[in-house]
Amino acid sequence: MLIDFLLAVFEKNNEKNAIVWKDKTYSYAWLLERINYWQNRIQSENIEKGKVVVLEADFSPNSIALFLALMEHACILVPLTRSIESQQAEFIEIAQAEISFSIDDNDHLKITKLPNVAHHEFYTRLKTSSHAGLVLFSSGSTGKSKAAVHDLVKLLEKFKIPRYNYITLTFLLYDHIGGLETMFYTLSNGGCIVTAQTRSPDRILERVEKYKVELLPVSPTFINLILLSESYKRYDLSSLKIVTYGTEPMPESTLARFQGLFPHIKLIQKYGLSELGILRSKSKSSNSLWVKVGGEGFQTRVVEGILQIKASSAMLGYLNAPTPFIEDGWFNTKDVVEIDGEYLKILGRQSEIINVGGEKVYPAEVESVIQSFDNVAEVTVYGEQNAITGNIVCAKVRLLKEEDKKPLTKRLKHYCREHLQNYKVPVKVKIVEEKQYSERFKKIRQNNQRDHPETPISNGMSFRAK
Amino acid sequence: MTREEIKQAVFNVLDEINQELPQEKQLEKSETTVLFGKFGQLDSLGLVNLIVAIEEKLQEECNVSITLADERAMSQRNSPFRTVASLIDYIAMLLNEEID
Repeated sequence: MLIDFLLAVFEKNNEKNAIVWKDKTYSYAWLLERINYWQNRIQSENIEKGKVVVLEADFSPNSIALFLALMEHACILVPLTRSIESQQAEFIEIAQAEISFSIDDNDHLKITKLPNVAHHEFYTRLKTSSHAGLVLFSSGSTGKSKAAVHDLVKLLEKFKIPRYNYITLTFLLYDHIGGLETMFYTLSNGGCIVTAQTRSPDRILERVEKYKVELLPVSPTFINLILLSESYKRYDLSSLKIVTYGTEPMPESTLARFQGLFPHIKLIQKYGLSELGILRSKSKSSNSLWVKVGGEGFQTRVVEGILQIKASSAMLGYLNAPTPFIEDGWFNTKDVVEIDGEYLKILGRQSEIINVGGEKVYPAEVESVIQSFDNVAEVTVYGEQNAITGNIVCAKVRLLKEEDKKPLTKRLKHYCREHLQNYKVPVKVKIVEEKQYSERFKKIRQNNQRDHPETPISNGMSFRAK
Repeated sequence: MTREEIKQAVFNVLDEINQELPQEKQLEKSETTVLFGKFGQLDSLGLVNLIVAIEEKLQEECNVSITLADERAMSQRNSPFRTVASLIDYIAMLLNEEID
């Protein structure tokens, strides 16, 4: 059925490692057996096909096997991780989950029947066709999170095409389109998933060294942290072949620095959305933000500077919001792009553009300049209303080492004036102490309408740049 | 704050801003200096920077928090941003209101 093509790959790679969890490895033979075990358990628990099931877990041997077994049983899966703990009850309610599978840090499972009876047009459609479903929540920082319902048969279609197999670290989370992309890409090609229990730069790179990880899908914020913490100096990263990045715009300065340190690593920008899945992508070069996106099942077009995508793997719709699709199934990403032939450069979210007296300022461009300034750990650029120019550019900066604010601000503005047009130079610079990224290692923006797609992997990984 | 103190604070900001400007664009520290509008020496961006710098200076050194560029300032019959003198007067007026 749905996972037959995966099972065939697993059979073929029987003796190879499928998963590294903590310090143990699990083969594809083990995985096959474990899927079988969970299928029997699902039967014995009398879980009907088409049930809406919450999976509270991180990547682990059981969470992976159970995910596949539930898919085969045509359930509707709602993966959740600890990163959304505060919203968990809300998400379970929105999804109308009927059963909860919770896997703890020791990979032990608890099953709880919930008092909900799921009822939604999209669920009915999935049940009628006996297709497994998937519910993903957008992590927008303002407004209510939206629940995207996918047909897993469509989402998995592209993984039937064989590609390369890599030892891949699952950095992006289990409840994220990027994390799931990483999992399916790796398994469908007989690669090996190296899980991480802690996602700090040192813990991640330690696992890269120890398990000779070849493919690492991360976010630009995380690459910045690797550079700042200098953790890359403490581990041997020679096994790494590809690092993919997405979910938010990459500062050009960070990309250049990382590429300079690791010329042997291929850097690929990924692009995707919770609503559509992840596109295949090809960066013009490792130090370029120009990227070609598309691949089988994805069509792209640019309308008035905004990227629109039509995907055969697109979600059915949101559980709790009106359909966002425009005519003929096209989706407005609200990402502003520049075009050069087949390549795109993602400038930023439409909602985050700062309009200064009629001139457009993209936070990412200003952030890239400030990020390259001495002693800057991280920076977020945003707009503030102003009666004279409509908006002014402001920057919130966290420093590496404490320093007298006034002279620093003066030097920083001077530096910006040398590298940016006048209207892009921040009028206000605030020095702050708090970190500016979320648990998903993504910059927290004040005016986020919704998340960038984040993404990861597949043949890279990607995400939408926010 | 007395008008004289406000004037001093504004002049200090002009000093700071002049450091970043080429000789011919520097703003004279005089109440009659025309800032914005006909024959004004600043464009809108320059004005915004001056105003934010003054707001920050008043906050840091005198611990007073006022907003100079808002709808009210924009709707005054005589623009408070016309000259250094009109700007000082406008700040004095806002500060007086704070006290009241």
